[in-house]
Amino acid sequence: MRRYTRLYWEFAKSHMKVMMEYRIDFLIGVASVMLEQFASIFFVKVVFDHIEQINGWSFYEILFIYGIAATGRSIHQIFFDNLWTLGWQYIRPGKLDRLLIRPVNPLFHVVADRLHQDGFGQLIIGLIILGTAIPQLDLVWGAAEIAMLVVMIISSGLIFVAINLFFATFSFWMIDSLPIVWAVFNLSDFARYPLTIYHKGIRMFLTWVIPYGFTAFYPAAYFIDKSGYKEFALWTPVAAVVCCVLAYTFWNRGLKAFASTGS
Amino acid sequence: MGKYWQIAKGRMQENTAYSAWYWAGTVSSVMRLLIIYFFWQAVYANQTTIQNINLETMLTYIVIAMLLQGFVGGVGNELAENIKEGQVAIELMRPYDMIFKMFAVDIGEKIMYLIQGTLPMVLIAYFFMDLSFPKSPETILLFIVSALVGIWIGTFFDFLVGVLAFWTVNVWGVRVLKESLITFFSGALVPITLFPDWLRTITEFLPFQAMVYLPVSIYSGLISGTEVYMALGVQLFWLISLYVLVRVIWSQAIKQITIFGG
Repeated sequence: MRRYTRLYWEFAKSHMKVMMEYRIDFLIGVASVMLEQFASIFFVKVVFDHIEQINGWSFYEILFIYGIAATGRSIHQIFFDNLWTLGWQYIRPGKLDRLLIRPVNPLFHVVADRLHQDGFGQLIIGLIILGTAIPQLDLVWGAAEIAMLVVMIISSGLIFVAINLFFATFSFWMIDSLPIVWAVFNLSDFARYPLTIYHKGIRMFLTWVIPYGFTAFYPAAYFIDKSGYKEFALWTPVAAVVCCVLAYTFWNRGLKAFASTGS
Repeated sequence: MGKYWQIAKGRMQENTAYSAWYWAGTVSSVMRLLIIYFFWQAVYANQTTIQNINLETMLTYIVIAMLLQGFVGGVGNELAENIKEGQVAIELMRPYDMIFKMFAVDIGEKIMYLIQGTLPMVLIAYFFMDLSFPKSPETILLFIVSALVGIWIGTFFDFLVGVLAFWTVNVWGVRVLKESLITFFSGALVPITLFPDWLRTITEFLPFQAMVYLPVSIYSGLISGTEVYMALGVQLFWLISLYVLVRVIWSQAIKQITIFGG
């Protein structure tokens, strides 16, 4: 464990240096992600200028849902973004074969290869959104609630990671599963709004099949009492752990299949 | 003319090869359609109109805007890649005008997108959502003209962003920046009439509303009569201005290459 921590630090340090070489690009990356998020929040704001609530949810409540998703996703984007490139950066050019003979867990290696600067924009924006929404929510915040919020956000991030890892793993059989990863990732857009506005089938799908519901709506519902999902929301951390275990098991199977073809 | 058509056709064939991306794109668009549908249903659950727009008109606007937005991107990406990889130097030596070549590639791309991307969407929207159609054939014609102009404005703008790759390395960031600007100001997410006043004023001075908002407003009947022709005038103004800008900046950028010695 300690060895891996030190290794990650070394990887990150060298990556930071590269990032600082291109400072303007770093800033553009951060700014662009922030603007992207602002655009979608602004959309909701414009709509709420003309109405009171959507399906019983107020503007700040929806903002809160959104904030949890954005912050959770930043964990994924900063630390695990390299999973996106598994197909075209590792498998296709044969780089993965080289990783396999090193005395380091290959998944760790792929993940540690890159810290993604744009994720910091996501993190900042997520915190700003949460900071804006929370004071308006009429909730009492004690240490327990704050701890719970942190747990929920980390769980949200882990679910993003697990889903991406799971679908990136298909690259072992089809060289590059990026289109699938991308299409599935787009499903997370559903999670921006209360799941209760959707048809029951979609709600079920986002809870039990591809659990993006746990990246935003259920965690938020834990804090917003009238939602009726307070108890159910407690399953969020469990869902996160289960997803990670499933995804990692699948990854190992994929890796084995890949290694045994000897390609 | 013939050689540009060959280029466009070549791109169409290439595109069919990436069928995984095609399906991923279709699936994602259908999902976005679903989100939009349920979102606006929920919004209108407690009211019949917002700013005098009823649910049917709103959904029509949003869906058409979404479809049109798929076309306002363009060559920028390809151009930026070309610049980054240094291919641009070789391209420039070839016996065609590189700007026209890029636009030809883009037209090929867009024709494919029309068939593969837009048509399925239109069918789904037509059968599963209550969308309205323009009242008169004249409106349809004006919409088509306006949409084409809007697409070209978007393409020119995209080209300008692509040229930035001469000066910046992070093409991805610039692209996201551009996408958000367009989504934000073009009225692709929500009719600009719903914007707060101060923002609407800013929007009127920017080229983005000419890409999506104006054509779609013509289609959905948000604007009518002489307003339609004024809208077309505004579009024409941006079309010409941006094209001139494309030419000017491009010639500057090419000078940059010669300095590199490429």
